[in-house]
Amino acid sequence: MIVTVTLNPAFDHLLFFSEISMGKLNRAVSTLRMPGGKGINVAGSLAVLGDEVVVTGFLGGQGSRAFEGFLRKIGVTTSFTYIDQEIRTDFYIIEDKKNRQSLLIEESSPIELRYLNSFKANFKRLLHSAKLVEIGGSLPKGIPPNFINELILSANKKKVKVVLNLQESILKECLAGTSLFIVCPDLRETCYIFGEDICSPASRPKVAQWLLNKGAEIVILKYGDLCYFVAKKDEAWEGEIGIEGSNVIMLGVRDGMLAGFIHNYLKTNDIGEALKFGLGVALSTAQNKMSYLHSKKQAEELCVMAKLRKIS
Amino acid sequence: MKKVKDFITRDLTSVTEDTPLKEVAELLSIRELIGIPVVNKKNEVTGWISETDIITSIFPEKVKIENPDVIHLMNISQVVKKLTQVGQAMVRDYMIKDVYFVDEDTPASYVVELMLHKDFKRVPVVRNKRLIGIVDRSSLSRILLEEGSID
Repeated sequence: MIVTVTLNPAFDHLLFFSEISMGKLNRAVSTLRMPGGKGINVAGSLAVLGDEVVVTGFLGGQGSRAFEGFLRKIGVTTSFTYIDQEIRTDFYIIEDKKNRQSLLIEESSPIELRYLNSFKANFKRLLHSAKLVEIGGSLPKGIPPNFINELILSANKKKVKVVLNLQESILKECLAGTSLFIVCPDLRETCYIFGEDICSPASRPKVAQWLLNKGAEIVILKYGDLCYFVAKKDEAWEGEIGIEGSNVIMLGVRDGMLAGFIHNYLKTNDIGEALKFGLGVALSTAQNKMSYLHSKKQAEELCVMAKLRKIS
Repeated sequence: MKKVKDFITRDLTSVTEDTPLKEVAELLSIRELIGIPVVNKKNEVTGWISETDIITSIFPEKVKIENPDVIHLMNISQVVKKLTQVGQAMVRDYMIKDVYFVDEDTPASYVVELMLHKDFKRVPVVRNKRLIGIVDRSSLSRILLEEGSID
């Protein structure tokens, strides 16, 4: 069983427009509402790929029932800690004519200490059946980054593999004294990590090596829409897959890549193969309006289009 | 033949034996549930706690209401005392330990029998004793109506 942690989940509300005129009334052509958050998206893709997956985190309010119902329908098991706050909604605006996609994120509210303790106890119980834990996304207010560190140490103690899909500021706090299976920094908002420009080909091996030295077994770095650098101790690959057309939605695409990589690597132990399949899952997710891939079969068909280069 | 895995609700909402009863009441209210599995530190099902267990913990005696006003006044101090006790109580003090559960391959017909004969509304689903979900009357009814039969 794979456990994904999303401490700050939100509904993703997709609004499709031909074009937005700022300061004026705009009517959406169509809308979609679905559960979102990095761990949630990873879980959705893993479930479609046929993995047994449990999502955990904080959830509350009127929306929680619909949120969980949606996930269970696609085969995801839910195990949330319920809080007395309404779940957030993030808005994803897609403008067809301008070929532009914008994400508006709602701020989170602080989490009470009693809920944190309840979550930690539940997380430890889930570890008894878990083979891998993926921790992704942002932290709600009031949760210090070392909270993630505690979760990692609990997983390390149970010898459960840990995958981190976090921003640099949180990631930094999680590298000391922990054992990590995959580190995939969240590079949505920046090209820079640990002072290096990830878009520069020379920087990528340096950043990867630094993370490997810190205890990561595998490092995944995104340096373009669907361009990835993957490295482990004695091997590194770069791969990309073409992403074109106006029907492409980038929501959940990077999480789809990570889910595909995890799914494949656990079976093959081959980072090149896993990267190729991950890119197929990412493209299938981009072509699906939901934040997870359309189908495993489609991902298998698409992944042959991936261009891979062995770097070392 | 339909099996539990065909209509399981993939929900691991549960409490532990050391959860305060007050928190259980809050959880049942938030989630609009009538009962919830009790698990140990390994996520193994060890019991069941329901809103009925909580209510009967406060009002254990059967009160014959011949003159409701008099009985209300006579028992109010006892009820307040009981409320204080229950407020400090843990799940382990009031949970049902003799819990029924099913696994993913249990036939739907067995679940129907269990729900009708034992009057259960929700039954935990386990794998190697560990909680993996719940079957409830609404999902069972839905699949029966969708399929027209349990076979």
